[in-house]
Amino acid sequence: MYDETVAVVENRPLTGGHFVLSLDSARQAQATRPGQFAMVRLLGRSDVLLRRPMSIYNVASAVAPPLRAATDAATLVQDAAMNPRTTKQDAALKAAATKPAIVQLLYKVVGRGTRLMAELKPGDYVGLLAPLGHGFFQDEYLDRAKAADEILHVAGGIGIAALLLPARQLAAGGFHQRLFFGGRTQDDLVGVDEFAASVSEVVLATEDGSHGHGGYVTRPLEEYLSRNSGKNFLMMVCGPWAMLEASVKLARRYGHACLVSMENRMGCGLGVCLGCCIHVNGTGHGTYERVCTEGPVFWAEKVVWGDKS
Amino acid sequence: MANKGQMTRDKEQLAEFSPCLETTIAGVHFANPVLTASGTFGYGREFADLIDLNQLGGIVVKGISAEPMAGNPSPRIYETDSGMLNAIGLQNVGARRFLEEKLPFLRTLRTRCIVNVFGYATDDYVRAIEILNHGDGIDAYELNISCPNTRCGGMVYGSDLRLTEEVVAASKQAARFPLYVKLSPNVTDITAFARVAEAAGADALSLVNTFVGMAIDIESRIPRVSNVTAGLSGPAIKPVALRMVYQCARAVKIPVIGMGGIENAEDALEYLIAGARAVQIGTANFYAPDTALRVIEGIREYCRRTRLQLSEVIGSLTVAPFSAAQSIE
Repeated sequence: MYDETVAVVENRPLTGGHFVLSLDSARQAQATRPGQFAMVRLLGRSDVLLRRPMSIYNVASAVAPPLRAATDAATLVQDAAMNPRTTKQDAALKAAATKPAIVQLLYKVVGRGTRLMAELKPGDYVGLLAPLGHGFFQDEYLDRAKAADEILHVAGGIGIAALLLPARQLAAGGFHQRLFFGGRTQDDLVGVDEFAASVSEVVLATEDGSHGHGGYVTRPLEEYLSRNSGKNFLMMVCGPWAMLEASVKLARRYGHACLVSMENRMGCGLGVCLGCCIHVNGTGHGTYERVCTEGPVFWAEKVVWGDKS
Repeated sequence: MANKGQMTRDKEQLAEFSPCLETTIAGVHFANPVLTASGTFGYGREFADLIDLNQLGGIVVKGISAEPMAGNPSPRIYETDSGMLNAIGLQNVGARRFLEEKLPFLRTLRTRCIVNVFGYATDDYVRAIEILNHGDGIDAYELNISCPNTRCGGMVYGSDLRLTEEVVAASKQAARFPLYVKLSPNVTDITAFARVAEAAGADALSLVNTFVGMAIDIESRIPRVSNVTAGLSGPAIKPVALRMVYQCARAVKIPVIGMGGIENAEDALEYLIAGARAVQIGTANFYAPDTALRVIEGIREYCRRTRLQLSEVIGSLTVAPFSAAQSIE
């Protein structure tokens, strides 16, 4: 985890008030594990104090303008042209070209903080505390993934942001995967193309029926689960509370392991303000766990559902 | 040429002037007057990767009760203009686990360790203190009689003069370490509570805790924080908190520690000039973990520039006679 002031490389608008914010931070990009999150601080605002928690959507080696890693690569190419190339140089060249240097955050404008974020331009600076929390790949999670016939990603709206990196890593490991993705309208279904390469099928749903299945995404999910009742799935779910709860119920009914990536308001992201605690099965002090520190990924059975607390 | 020589001499003298930032509060010696406030800095270790904890004057740890506490349901926090509301509900690991799991690390630091203590009844406070008395490395207690977020909890004490007297006297009798008392700002006249705490045996005062506030989601028409009301902190409260620190510093003889919305050295200096012997950094730790260190450096710079020792800055406020007569008492 590093606390840095980083430059905006790109703030690309998508449909439905969504943006992908690309930030120049090699150290944080390289330290990121799938499912972790970042805290973004808007600088120079005395009325907006707290950092905003956001899933780390993606890490990339470069976006258009020249970046540290890209510059390093260019220097190496020049060196290589002038000098006989060594194996070591080859390795360094390859590493510089592929090592991630950009942290990407997918966000939707919902309030004051994200409205201000949408105004960020390349060359602006933000505070970035990242990477934070436990991602999707604790050893125990991986064992369950290996035991599953297929991994089902279930995303609601902006929840898609927490699942891309895990899906990519699992795809690289040869896992079978499928995405169920729901939004209010088709404008909410962002990042589908990025996801498609990692999964065998993308199932889309919109509440207004503007794209894919009409209604909640849990309907096609349930159809799939009931059609494949003999199979063993691992579900990875991120989205609004009601959708999480509905997905977790389905996982329980059909007997599948289920991981949820939780969201909550956060004051610090460091585990000290205790603002992000959610109600979990435990006793005494352990009745609440911090989304920022013990999470954001939890086994579904750990979370106390129903009372939204 | 003579001028140039003079300037060089001034520069040399300026360079030689190394201000002393040490401060002593009820026998506890601090390397500098900047502490981190309870509930905003965990048990210290959480910040070890981000800042050099040994540079801090002191760390006031998250409120500790005799038994572990679960805290309030979510949502517990909400951001407001230049501030935040919180109703955490004093979730903590309990006094015994604090001694076993948290204190050993704090003991390795040069930084002073103040333990914030709270309970629901006078007996709870005393019980927590009796357990914590076994903790080597604790420098002082900060008695929390002012948390606004627990049912039948601290606020009852902090807004009732008789209960304040009772809990401070009982805690003082039980305490092996100096006792600081943290006052609530949610009273009509905070100096009355300052005086009662002093008379009951408090070794120092710290103020203020959060102001009771609330926020409402107009679409769902439900409160933004599950507890309905919550404590307001951050820069929004600074002018009011500063006024209270100023009043209390004049009302009692024991040292006063000031806090409320400090974001930088200028904020901290206002409190020190108003009479605070030290300051605490609270909400700013959440969004700018290096705040305390920047404040220490800024105070040092100020002392260098003004050629004042910290002890000369503290309480140095000059109030013209006519404005003193007009000031709110």
